[in-house]
Amino acid sequence: MAENLSADFVVIGSGICGALAAYKLARAGASVIMLEAGPRVTRAQLLANFRNSPRRSDWMSPYPFSPWAPHPVYKPKDNGYLVQAGPYPYPAEYIRVVGGTTWHWAAHTWRYLPNDMRMQSLYGVGVDWPCTYDELDPFYQEAEEIMGVAGSAEEHPESPRSKPFPLEPVAEPWAMRRLRERLQPEYPVVGNTVARNSRTFGGRPACCGSNNCQPICPVDAQYHGGLAVDAAEAAGVRLIPNAVVYRLEHDERDRIVAAHYFDPDKQSYRVTGKTFIVAANGIESPKLLLLSTSERFPNGIANSRDMVGRHLMDHPSTSLTFDADEEVWLGRGPQSPSSINTLRDGPFRAEFSAYRLDFTNISRVDSTTQRLLLDGVYGPEFEKRLRYSAAREMNVKTVLEVLPRPENRITLSDRKDALGIPQPQVHYAIDAYTRGGAQDAKKHFTRIAELMGGTNLRFTPDDAFANNQHICGTLSMGNDPNTSVCDRYGRAHDHENLFFIGTGVLPTAGTCNSTLAAVAVGFWTVAHILEEQAGVPSGKRAATGAGAGT
Amino acid sequence: MGWIQAVKRCVGGLMVLGLAWGGAGVVGAAPADPELIQRGEYLARVGDCVACHTAPGGPVFAGGLELPTPVGNIVATNITPSKTAGIGNYTLEQFDAAVRRGIRADGKPLYPAMPYPSYAKVTDEDIEAMYAYFMNAVEPVETRPPQTKLPFPFNIRYSMKLWNALFLDETPFQPDPSQGEEWNRGAYLVQGLTHCSTCHSPRNFLMAEDSSRDLAGGEVGPWHAPNITSDPVSGVGSWSLEEIVAYMKQGSIPKSQAAGPMAEAIDHSFQYMTDADLRAMAVYLKSVPPIAEDGVKKPVDSWGRAHADFASVRGKPWPENPDELNGPQLFDAYCAACHQASGQGTFDRQMPALYQNTATGRLQTNNLVMVILEGIHRVSQGYEVRMPGFAHELSDQQIATLSNYLMQAYGNPDGQTSAEQVANLRQGGPVSSSNLILLARAGMVVGLLVVLALVVWLVRRRRS
Repeated sequence: MAENLSADFVVIGSGICGALAAYKLARAGASVIMLEAGPRVTRAQLLANFRNSPRRSDWMSPYPFSPWAPHPVYKPKDNGYLVQAGPYPYPAEYIRVVGGTTWHWAAHTWRYLPNDMRMQSLYGVGVDWPCTYDELDPFYQEAEEIMGVAGSAEEHPESPRSKPFPLEPVAEPWAMRRLRERLQPEYPVVGNTVARNSRTFGGRPACCGSNNCQPICPVDAQYHGGLAVDAAEAAGVRLIPNAVVYRLEHDERDRIVAAHYFDPDKQSYRVTGKTFIVAANGIESPKLLLLSTSERFPNGIANSRDMVGRHLMDHPSTSLTFDADEEVWLGRGPQSPSSINTLRDGPFRAEFSAYRLDFTNISRVDSTTQRLLLDGVYGPEFEKRLRYSAAREMNVKTVLEVLPRPENRITLSDRKDALGIPQPQVHYAIDAYTRGGAQDAKKHFTRIAELMGGTNLRFTPDDAFANNQHICGTLSMGNDPNTSVCDRYGRAHDHENLFFIGTGVLPTAGTCNSTLAAVAVGFWTVAHILEEQAGVPSGKRAATGAGAGT
Repeated sequence: MGWIQAVKRCVGGLMVLGLAWGGAGVVGAAPADPELIQRGEYLARVGDCVACHTAPGGPVFAGGLELPTPVGNIVATNITPSKTAGIGNYTLEQFDAAVRRGIRADGKPLYPAMPYPSYAKVTDEDIEAMYAYFMNAVEPVETRPPQTKLPFPFNIRYSMKLWNALFLDETPFQPDPSQGEEWNRGAYLVQGLTHCSTCHSPRNFLMAEDSSRDLAGGEVGPWHAPNITSDPVSGVGSWSLEEIVAYMKQGSIPKSQAAGPMAEAIDHSFQYMTDADLRAMAVYLKSVPPIAEDGVKKPVDSWGRAHADFASVRGKPWPENPDELNGPQLFDAYCAACHQASGQGTFDRQMPALYQNTATGRLQTNNLVMVILEGIHRVSQGYEVRMPGFAHELSDQQIATLSNYLMQAYGNPDGQTSAEQVANLRQGGPVSSSNLILLARAGMVVGLLVVLALVVWLVRRRRS
């Protein structure tokens, strides 16, 4: 082959975690090749796709589907890519494109609670992290400063910080203000911490309240993986899109020597490097490791102890919809602005799941219209009822914790995709611990509706849990190789030069969205790699914080 | 918001620091009059010294900004009262010579990137106040920016002596007794410190302002500084005084928004001026002799209407080649989220309408292209405005298509844009530098030939 496919670092996956890690490595002077299975996309094209889509409420519809890099699609019907082994369905969504799934998110950028990382020692459930909250603090800060996280430190004492939020909070929508006013002092309703501009930041404008965060912010007021890729490429990272990595190759010393990828025509390429970073999301990363079998690793790379793909976690949600006694008009401002954070920790965590209570601010016009049309309501009655629901309907949901259990896992199915690569299979259950949290939340649902003068209370059924696409745990870090895949720095227990970055490495799920934690832990990994390669003895390394800057 | 407050606080802090320094540093000198210093600060704002003499993100007045000119980059100097790197050793007379006549302390001429041809109008009293401010209230910065290095013959600073002899009018402003006080104040400001003509007057082939076409529009790198004479169609004759004042104060009125260098002038200078001074300027501008531009049929802010073309593109796939995207498709993807479906802008006017807007009414489309390329960033009256630029997302052809669509759908359909024009503007504007350098060099060759011819003629005459 004419071109030299070799670099100091080979990063597999160009989502926000992989791209920002690649950016940091390139800024430190390393050569980096970043391989992405999906195609390049542009915000403008996604926006045009959304505007042209007849299925507005299907947030996946604007995103291109590539036969060579398939991802799960559930509307109008399940494409069967993610094979469900049960017992409970796990319809995870993610996007295989350059920049990854944060093209399409509510931009929640929470820090974990310190206690989320000490679940075993404090509450006797789950596991403890192999690193501490304080150790991660500077890396959280660095991630927040790059992503432009907006928030109020006074509103969020639950996740202590040594430096201020980079951006002031985003303006509070009217409906959230009314919730805050009417629920106090019983429930403090606070603004979410978000990678959404409250003012000009990074050359991008402030949120103007399009209420279109998902599927795509029309004005680029949110940080996303596409911007991370732009930064990485500007820093010198070589991105190869449409490169579907299907095998990692190791040498006799168990070091990874190459990543093999297919292009869309199934031509195979071999990319060599000194250090490999797998950052291909919580399902595709374990899938790649499981695919990469050899005589020495018959169950796949990094899987000598059968831990790859296990401990799958997410955040199931139950919810209550009700009609407030006043007009609040959801749909002005961002889609997910405010929540209640007082139920995220406490002694009860020994018994049942903690949870965050999250208020939606998504316009009710589309959902109400569809419901009324299905009910056969037309004419003046339609207009009257649409107006009523659009003005008064509110929704509060739980964001429940799932414990890391080895039987919740990603495996390979016997189905194959267009390139002949086995599709992932998911084994998932929602246990009594999580269901206990959902039951506990019901009294708070009721009380919140009461405080809002709510009528027409509609609880989701007891066995109906929505999924939040916070796929974590499948490449857990830990000190014990018998219960984890990688060490405290994300290094595979089995391979000296293989690292994992992404939500998969998070050992517990907590009650908050996983992206910020994954980016921060990724920076911690990169700092460790760079210091180790620069000859700094481990243990002497100090957190450098936002040294490389934005 | 935060930014501007920070700047204000910062400037306030500098005042305090500077005053302390002035008191300690000038041994034996009479303590400067705080009122004089304050007036000097205001006048330095009006003159917008900071715009050129501060590098982006650098210390205030410490110089270092590279000003692109047709003959090369001119580096702005340190004008803090540092005795080693700035103007700390300047006497009032030397300061005056630099500001009003373009002569440095060492007697060498400045390049007229420094708008001394305008500052020449400033009164003695105002020069004194600015001197008091710079010497006493500006924090000295001990770093010297790199020297300006221009190509031959412009590296010979004395070439500017000839230029000054031709184009510099050293007479300070003379009030016109036939006009009122307000008009005279406005004329003094417009002709002098605010140096409007530096950008808004066309220049002749030697880069001097064409006084016969005062304020009839000029070029500032890739940007076009529009006609601001009192012509009701080509200029601002149809603008009310209130509109002109509001525009200078906020950078935005429904029919026109400041971008590029004008946005900078508002950010750094105009927004800090008193309403009385801004009104005086407006009064004067509306009396500047009207100069009509060829081909301009009606006022630039009177074109177009609310209009949407989405029906023609809904449900149609994008072309394989992004350069083949049509106007409505580009508008849908890049503009409509803020400027709304029919180009009507937002109800609160934070995002302006695209029709009946000077942005889409001109025959000359450079500014429209520049705004699409670079966006708009203003922080005026404590309010930040940010339109993102699309230089990194849109190709030359796409911007040409979009610009032509915007003009056709919302503006003056005679205003055309070509992909070549966009490419040129993307690179920083009309490439005339080599021409001027060639011209100057050619001029010297011609001069040499003339001298030779004279010598030959003299020798022949002596022989005969």
